[in-house]
Amino acid sequence: MGQQFGVRRVYETAPKGDSVSVRLSDREVQLGSREFALYEKLAERVPSVQSEKEIAADLGMDEARLRRLTTALESAGLLYRQDAVPATLSGVDLHTLFNKILPSWLDEAFSHPFWERMTSGNGSRRMYSGWLIELYHYTRNANRHMPLSCAHTKEKAIKNMRAKHYAEEWNHYHYFLKALKALGFSEESVINSVPLPMSLALSNFMRQAAREDILAYSICSAVLEGTTVNRGAYNPYYEKCAELYKLPQESIAPIYAHLDLDVQYQHSDLFLDILNTVKTIPAARAGRVLEYGHQLVEHIWLWTDSIEKYYGVDSNPMPRPKFSKLLD
Amino acid sequence: MQTQLPVLKRTAKVVRREGDKLAIEYMGQEVTLEGAAARLLDKMLPYLDGSNGVGSIAERIAESPKRVQSLSQQLGQTGVLAFKDDDGERITGEQFYEIHRKYVNHWLQPIYDHPLWEKIVTGKASRAQVLGFAFEKYHYIEGAFEHMAIAAANATPEMMPHLARHFIEEYNHGDIYRKGLRSLFPDDTVLRAQPLPSTRALVNFLSESAGRNSFGYYAGNELLQMTENTGDDKDASSIDDFYAAMRKHYPYTDKVIDSFIAHTNADQKLGHENVFLEMCQSIPPLTRAEVDDALNIVRSMAEHLFLFMDGIDTFYSRFPTMPRAPSDLLSE
Repeated sequence: MGQQFGVRRVYETAPKGDSVSVRLSDREVQLGSREFALYEKLAERVPSVQSEKEIAADLGMDEARLRRLTTALESAGLLYRQDAVPATLSGVDLHTLFNKILPSWLDEAFSHPFWERMTSGNGSRRMYSGWLIELYHYTRNANRHMPLSCAHTKEKAIKNMRAKHYAEEWNHYHYFLKALKALGFSEESVINSVPLPMSLALSNFMRQAAREDILAYSICSAVLEGTTVNRGAYNPYYEKCAELYKLPQESIAPIYAHLDLDVQYQHSDLFLDILNTVKTIPAARAGRVLEYGHQLVEHIWLWTDSIEKYYGVDSNPMPRPKFSKLLD
Repeated sequence: MQTQLPVLKRTAKVVRREGDKLAIEYMGQEVTLEGAAARLLDKMLPYLDGSNGVGSIAERIAESPKRVQSLSQQLGQTGVLAFKDDDGERITGEQFYEIHRKYVNHWLQPIYDHPLWEKIVTGKASRAQVLGFAFEKYHYIEGAFEHMAIAAANATPEMMPHLARHFIEEYNHGDIYRKGLRSLFPDDTVLRAQPLPSTRALVNFLSESAGRNSFGYYAGNELLQMTENTGDDKDASSIDDFYAAMRKHYPYTDKVIDSFIAHTNADQKLGHENVFLEMCQSIPPLTRAEVDDALNIVRSMAEHLFLFMDGIDTFYSRFPTMPRAPSDLLSE
């Protein structure tokens, strides 16, 4: 069945009385609990080696009923026909699609319980500081991927835009260093520390994207910029953490300054500017670009998970020193 | 000797035991002192940060330099204490091999202790976690195409023959796992499936290391190989037990497990057990900076391997969609 149908990405399911609400990026679908169970079983079997007859038998129905079920799920938007995927689209159309999906992607990226834990007072100053250390590493490591994206871009117009972005961002890690110093960390201990594997993984993934396709790189960059455009979303987090964990104002001010600068540079418009220069994108390339964007979302989720797990253990060194045969 | 700067290893943990005993836990071992020696160490502890000479420590704690020197020497021999002025000499590749073995056995412990193994053995792992384990192993092995090729292409002259052979012998091992997965999913689905970020992290870290430090890369790769090592009967039996339990609780993975075993057998046939030692024997002596760089890669590899395991456990528990089909213009 996988040759014929694709399964739409579900961002959330929630029971509502006798039914289940299934949230897609563009709609919410209400299914009865029995229909939802059938949908789950079918979605699991669409990519399997089972024939339609075997799937129907597994679901306790005949093939005709299975076809009626798939048609109903297709009408509801939960399944789609592979032959309905357009062969090409323009750069602007890809950006329109991206804009529609982005809120769901960001919800997923920040769905980790870490955020609730931090803002409900169940986190700690140590965990906040750890998160900031990893953010410092991620921002400093922009120097590992931003110039690489310029080097691997073929089109002059895009190359210029990426270079300008790099020129505006390369030294922003200083903001995080300043915040960490206000929290009591020495400059030397932060500069000489090593990031968590998932922080390194983020920049390695960006390097991978930079080498493969500038649009794949640019969508990842756009997802990251998308996390910083809305002051209303990030201010409460910092304000709450400052209040709960007695953070000095000097440790928050540099972060606001950094976020304001990003907004001032209008980096969130860069992806549209880049896509404006691309007339046509074949479906396979566009799919790969979207895949990069979504994987970046997953990277953010797992990055958050790593931060919570590592800095949640009081005995783990902070910042993490490099290995030294002499000292270790 | 009086000018030496003793430093207690950062990862050593001093624990007070019953009576007047002091224990130092380090790299899975324990050194226990009692009586006068324990009392002397207790007094020395605040000064063992590498900034005080033996003479200075003796003066500060009002002890004889001879006693402080003698205890420092003995603790140095156990490995829990180092001396900061011992940094000038180079070490041979064979010495590095011994050091590597010692640290790797310690760094692998958290991976062996990861709760995912227990969940699979007891049948508590979900379908997504079990199939995810199989898919991620496939992605990791298939990743040889990337990191082994990059390693060969960027090899130093001494390392080139080893890394070329390594790629040529192993580039197609992903197909062994693919065969197992094809018992459950169409070939195209397997080929197009996307790895978890944590698996991507491991493969990318291997590739990045391969591009910048041939020896460090292989030293890190050796850590990964050691987890496949079923050389002694105890290791072989625990791996057999793991597969038997997996077959029992998840019978649909039968063919997939066959592919895991086929891969282990293929690796063993290659006789790679001594390759790293041969490499170590073929390289020029290493400076302390080179040793630290290589061991930083190895430690980070262990952390990435832990992340690989943890990603399967955590991510598939929260996001159980299986297999991970790539995005297209209608999927999102």
